[in-house]
Amino acid sequence: MFVLASTTSGIFIQTMVNGITLGAVYALVALGYTIVYGIVELINFAHGDVFMWSTAITLVVLNSMHVSTAVYGFALIGLLLLMIVIGAVVSGTLNVAIERLAYRPLRKAPRLAPLIAAIGVSFILENIAELWLGASGISYPDFFPNGGIVLGDVTIQYIDLVVVVLTVVLMYGLNVLVKSTKMGKAMRATAQDPEAAALMGVDINQTISFAFLVGGVLAGVAGVFYSLVIPVYAYNVGFELGLIAFTAAVLGGIGNITGAMAGGFLIGIIKALATNYLPNGSDLSDAVVFAILVLVLALRPSGLLGQQVPDKV
Amino acid sequence: MSASPSHFQQKMQNPLKSLGIRKKIGDFLNNTKFLNRSLSWYVTGWRVGVFWGLIALFLPQLLNFSTNFLDQTYFAPNILLLDAILCGIYVMLALGLNIVVGYAGLLDLGYVAFFVIGSYTVAFATSGIIRNIHSQVVNIPALTFWEAIPLAALIAGFMGVLLGAPTLRLRGDYLAIVTLGFGEIVPIVIKDVPFFYGALGFQVPPAPVVNTPFGQVDFGNPLDFSAFYYLTLAVIILIVMFNILLRNSSIGRAWIAIREDELAASASGVNLVRIKLMAFGLGAAIGGIGGVFNGVMTSSISYDQFSFQVSISVLIMIVLGGIGSIPGVIVGAILLRFIDVYVISTISNMLQTNTALANPSNPFHFLVSFNLNTTKFLIFGLVLLLMIILRPQGIIPNKRRQLELKGVGLAPEELSVIGEIEREEEGSSAPPESVEGLGDI
Repeated sequence: MFVLASTTSGIFIQTMVNGITLGAVYALVALGYTIVYGIVELINFAHGDVFMWSTAITLVVLNSMHVSTAVYGFALIGLLLLMIVIGAVVSGTLNVAIERLAYRPLRKAPRLAPLIAAIGVSFILENIAELWLGASGISYPDFFPNGGIVLGDVTIQYIDLVVVVLTVVLMYGLNVLVKSTKMGKAMRATAQDPEAAALMGVDINQTISFAFLVGGVLAGVAGVFYSLVIPVYAYNVGFELGLIAFTAAVLGGIGNITGAMAGGFLIGIIKALATNYLPNGSDLSDAVVFAILVLVLALRPSGLLGQQVPDKV
Repeated sequence: MSASPSHFQQKMQNPLKSLGIRKKIGDFLNNTKFLNRSLSWYVTGWRVGVFWGLIALFLPQLLNFSTNFLDQTYFAPNILLLDAILCGIYVMLALGLNIVVGYAGLLDLGYVAFFVIGSYTVAFATSGIIRNIHSQVVNIPALTFWEAIPLAALIAGFMGVLLGAPTLRLRGDYLAIVTLGFGEIVPIVIKDVPFFYGALGFQVPPAPVVNTPFGQVDFGNPLDFSAFYYLTLAVIILIVMFNILLRNSSIGRAWIAIREDELAASASGVNLVRIKLMAFGLGAAIGGIGGVFNGVMTSSISYDQFSFQVSISVLIMIVLGGIGSIPGVIVGAILLRFIDVYVISTISNMLQTNTALANPSNPFHFLVSFNLNTTKFLIFGLVLLLMIILRPQGIIPNKRRQLELKGVGLAPEELSVIGEIEREEEGSSAPPESVEGLGDI
């Protein structure tokens, strides 16, 4: 995430590239918010911390493997795949467990009760991580080779390419999953009308668990990507990133999978631009994202791609 | 959505009931007589309130008296009084947030914003110093502390309305996130906009000396906080009275109506946006007043004292004590502050100074490095989660809210019971002799 270019247009393009890479991470996390919200109408406040746990596990596993220098070839691919699988398994399991223990007992409670429970879960996850790995930032071992494709004075890092390409592949896979599999059909049915879906023989509990699993897996992969792009672990990264990703989900229209993908990339670009071009940008870019959130919710609550759906009574 | 509470939840809900402890305590209190009344008479209803009210009223004297037999290095009366005042500030915040969350049923996760606004208002207004856009000091006419209180309430209330106006049309969970964003933005703005002294912090002048017919009263005396303590107490009492009046007014009923069924309330002629703005503005104003007291009391304020954690702490106080219940949120605030300030640090100290644990061969040696202060939010998170799952109505429930949160439909006869119970909260009807309800504690 450096801006190496020297010309004005070069800086702009480089910023866009950085924004798209981070946007891929935001999009993956935003998908988790949107899938869960689409099915149980709950803002899974702990989702950002599920993502953070993936970055924590990545750090611990990398450290335990004593990777300290760049690796190449099949070793690199193997390591990358291993990280992705571990992150996905941990976050997926965690998300399913949270749903089972914290949200399911509250499914019939007033709307705000599960949201409050989610805040509690978020605090718990964040503080356990703080207890475990400490409060100060920890650098990741730098195993991914530096370098990239040079286009004029813009450098597209290999890492950016890998992240964006793998994200697009995952999104395609998710699309297939939701549109063409039996489980995807069950998810769409549950999102539309849980009771009717149950009458048609859909196992609601299983479907909701599966939605949390998918969301958690995507957040886990996003955690691995994030730790590649921004190689410093922090126990409280989930809170901020969760909010940004939620904004992305809302921007695209919450409950809308394509919307969350587009919203993620869009927010990534906007945030990168704000960081680079505003004074005190790294702080104020968060304020910019929140301002977008407020504006979208106030002016077009259904988001850019969502439909206006009346409240269910 | 499917169906009955899970087996897990049923088992978790009644650990005390299954052991019969509840019943034993209840029987003991009901059957033991003291001065012709059962013990349960003394520990239920308004008498509990009177007892704790008297303790609050005479707290400075009690603390001074305690120096006769307690070690002053641990029980310095003035320090304890300072803790009590800070606790009182949280009681104010909890009462203010209770209007928004408890009465109107809107979740505000950025309540700290109004706390900040109140703190900085008193800082600017009483010091008479602001900075212009070029970070140069500009003197403005200074107000007194007494004028700053309503000013802060006004500004915070105005900001509440300003935030609420575009966002209150949103559904509850969206609103929660927007308010959270607002609570995050305000400290960032304070830090990065030079006008606010940003990262430097800000010195707040102490509360003034007042000449009364009975002599001088120094509200800002750092060696004796009792005058400021009584001021805090008086403001809390005013806020409580304000809350009770509000709850029983047509506004309060409209809040209950929108909380229980927004659509039905709107169809019955409740102006949704106006009534929600009311809750937001009034809650914010009380938060602003709390901010004033915080600013004066901590005397040096900076942006990093106002984090998301403050908003959530206040929310946990409300959930712990009982959403929508005035005695509940007061108890919740005091209890959480007590756990925060005394219990956690005491346990932490005990772990770190324990000689047996200091031995590395002790299997629990790792507990020595266990600094509970850094992880108190783990405990708070657990409290929040367990309360909302196992006892959503809180320690001292508001009966009407309890039925809602427990998901029980309101039968006509239950509604009439609610009327009685709500009157009883005021202390006007006969106290219950049985202690069944107490067992819930």
